[in-house]
Amino acid sequence: MRRIAVFRSLAVALGAVSMVAACGGGGGNNSSNLAADQTLSFPMVDDVGNTDPAHMSAAVDIDIFRNSYSGLYKFDDQLNEVPDIATGAPTVSTDGLTYTYKIKQNVKFWNGDPVKADDFIFSWNRAAAIQGDYASLLQPVQGYDDVAAGKATQMTGLKKVDDYTFSATLTAPAGYWYTENALWTLWVVDQKVVLAAGKATDSTWADNPATAVGTGQFKMTARTPKQSLDFAPVPNWYGGSTGTITKVHIEIVADQKAQLTKYESGGYSLIGFANQSLTPEDVIRYNSDSQLKKQLTLQPSARTSWIGFNFCTGKAQPTKSCTTSSVFAGDAGKPLREAFSLAIDRDQLIDIACSKGTACVKATGGVITKGLKGYLGDNTDPWAKFDKAQAQQLLQSAGGAAKVGNLTYTYNANAQNKAVCDNLASQWKANLGVTVQCASTDRASFFNARTKCAYPIFRHSWGADYDHPQDWFDFLFVTDAGSSGSCYSNPQIDSMEKDANQKPLSNSLDTYKAMNKILVDNCVTGNLFYGIQQYLVHPYVQGAGGNALYDNYWADVKILQHS
Amino acid sequence: MRGTLLYIGQRLVLIAITTVLVSSIVFVLLHQIPGNAFLNETRTSPESLAADLRHYGLDKPLGTQYVNWVSGVLHGNLGESLVNRGVMITPLLVREASVSATVGFFALLVTVGLGLILGVIAALRQNTWADYVASSAAVVGYSVPSFVIGIFFLLIFGHYFFEWTQGTVFYNVGWGDWTQIPVPAIALGLPYASYVARLTRASMLETIRTDYVRTAWAKGLKARIVVLRHALRNALIPVVTILGPLITGIITGSVVIENIFGIPGLGKEFVTSILARDYNIVIGVFTFYAALVGLANLTVDVIYPALDPRIRY
Repeated sequence: MRRIAVFRSLAVALGAVSMVAACGGGGGNNSSNLAADQTLSFPMVDDVGNTDPAHMSAAVDIDIFRNSYSGLYKFDDQLNEVPDIATGAPTVSTDGLTYTYKIKQNVKFWNGDPVKADDFIFSWNRAAAIQGDYASLLQPVQGYDDVAAGKATQMTGLKKVDDYTFSATLTAPAGYWYTENALWTLWVVDQKVVLAAGKATDSTWADNPATAVGTGQFKMTARTPKQSLDFAPVPNWYGGSTGTITKVHIEIVADQKAQLTKYESGGYSLIGFANQSLTPEDVIRYNSDSQLKKQLTLQPSARTSWIGFNFCTGKAQPTKSCTTSSVFAGDAGKPLREAFSLAIDRDQLIDIACSKGTACVKATGGVITKGLKGYLGDNTDPWAKFDKAQAQQLLQSAGGAAKVGNLTYTYNANAQNKAVCDNLASQWKANLGVTVQCASTDRASFFNARTKCAYPIFRHSWGADYDHPQDWFDFLFVTDAGSSGSCYSNPQIDSMEKDANQKPLSNSLDTYKAMNKILVDNCVTGNLFYGIQQYLVHPYVQGAGGNALYDNYWADVKILQHS
Repeated sequence: MRGTLLYIGQRLVLIAITTVLVSSIVFVLLHQIPGNAFLNETRTSPESLAADLRHYGLDKPLGTQYVNWVSGVLHGNLGESLVNRGVMITPLLVREASVSATVGFFALLVTVGLGLILGVIAALRQNTWADYVASSAAVVGYSVPSFVIGIFFLLIFGHYFFEWTQGTVFYNVGWGDWTQIPVPAIALGLPYASYVARLTRASMLETIRTDYVRTAWAKGLKARIVVLRHALRNALIPVVTILGPLITGIITGSVVIENIFGIPGLGKEFVTSILARDYNIVIGVFTFYAALVGLANLTVDVIYPALDPRIRY
């Protein structure tokens, strides 16, 4: 009996230790078809990187904070540029150098401060001085170089006309400048608040909900770094309605399985906002089930992935970053580039590496993503088709497999890049008889080496920052382009780019397309696939989704009644 | 008593030296790895990269960076995150450490509580079904890694419980209220509980056959008194011996568990900061862990004399 008593107390303790309980609740009902609880919630794998518009560069940050900051212009759902704080399109001088902006007189920051021309001039000067990743958006403005170099604090090209009018004078005509006016680096910040918190170039104010003052429909109400972010609509927002959402709750959950588990138990409204994705097996599961599929939206996104070829020749190097030589370089390497591209069955690649086409679709129209300005059209890339015989012929003409030697394809480590490399290597082995090793490295080491054109053949991709071909050529394909990785140089492209950049897009689009055609004709990139943004949204959440570049604004989302 | 205090003082000095050494080695090694936190697949101009390096003092010679870092540490300032600009590391790590400590504490309760209970049951009911069940459970628990248990628990308590109970009772992923503690704590503590159970069983079997326990039974003492006061107390010594390594194991185990369950603790930080090359956080986390492991072992050493009067410092 005594021992039984001992066991009983031990059993009670065991039960207590093992106890697991948690409660969940759904939204309530009211008389309309809207749920009583209008909380929009979603997860992110990692926290936002920067909360200050002058520093932002990651898609995650921009997708979040475009709801709490704004600028002169924005892009609508079809990526057309439309006025936001500006009253209309800028007046452009006949020489194409001076843009005059008029701003609406009723615009206020959420703290009640009016938005005036001075705020824009302050914000743009500040962004140039800070030199965040995208400060170069302001490079066309006169005096930018001095501010960037720390020799001045104000760009000479910015002039206040009156409280609600200011002008920007450029050093040279730049057809892409108007597009750049709608980007995050040029969002307006409250100079009173920034200066009250410290120096103009300090960013601490942006991390504090009390001082993160913007002009968007929502304001940050709470921030626990690496744990959660909360937002609420701005009361009496100057622009009118902020929609039905009363709270936005964002959680940082690193594990995608955990995210999905919580989504499926109603803990999140959706997964996919802020550039998030599902695991390959989960997206396939949802896409292959007729009922579950209703929750999944696959939105083409503005990203292209390709095989990067090294263009360093070893002597008379094409660019200053070149330190090596590559079999793929120049005209001599063209048959090899073509052979390596033609030897890939992209349907097979997409099936295996893109989760049966739910993560990406094959790229057949050049390096600029389908749907963006500058896209060449479906099946216009002759090297993006699968032609084993021609590939073998080209390889032989270039000296055969022996000419290639030991080749290593390098990528930054992640599951998709590994799947892509494994598949490419197996196809090159099967279709060309060439053995290619796959080498993965961590992100920082990869980009560090790629910037120096250290890899003969490698993974490359580019997500468009905005819908303008200049965004692709200036940073990838002109001589000494900062994000090239291949050290490609073509004087013809350089010259055409210089000319096209000076003209409005309506007059330069054909030139950009011709440049894209030159890239295709020379097989500069082995184009593989265009990206897809996945949105997993409960049926009772309306208005969520996005376009090729951005998520929908939170104000567009509604939570309907549900059980 | 004086000897004990002297011993603790010596150990604290050693822990401090070890912590500084560990963090210095990590500091030097991290800065030897090529690349940095600012390189990514967006526009990174030489000017913006230089501005970032200047902002964080990474443009200075390594020796100067080290001196600045040590100076900051002495002032309780571990610096600013390289990846999440504006996020100061000291308050971040303190908050994350408190989260990890909460999970770790409950995991330790599971480890010690469950391990002792199963071990005692198995010993007292040796060669009965209770012993076989408890011992088999311990072997299974010890053999399955915590990340497997974590994913399994996530599926059971997060997914199936939701379906079975129509959303009434289930594990809600994340962090914020007490109901989110038990599942990850059990997942974290279970493998170690199995280890404790096996050790307790062996130790108890030895103790309950000793003369003084037999005497206690003969005196007619209550079973609870005999088991808990006479047998278990002495059987605990080997268990306490492994408590230090156990705590270390729980700390390192939390790296996986926190990721799986979306817990914003030090373990998750440990992984993400290394991958993101966020030097300042990596060094901070390593420093914190080094100190923690040292203190955990010291605590165990201090507990010994309470259990065994023969041990003196």
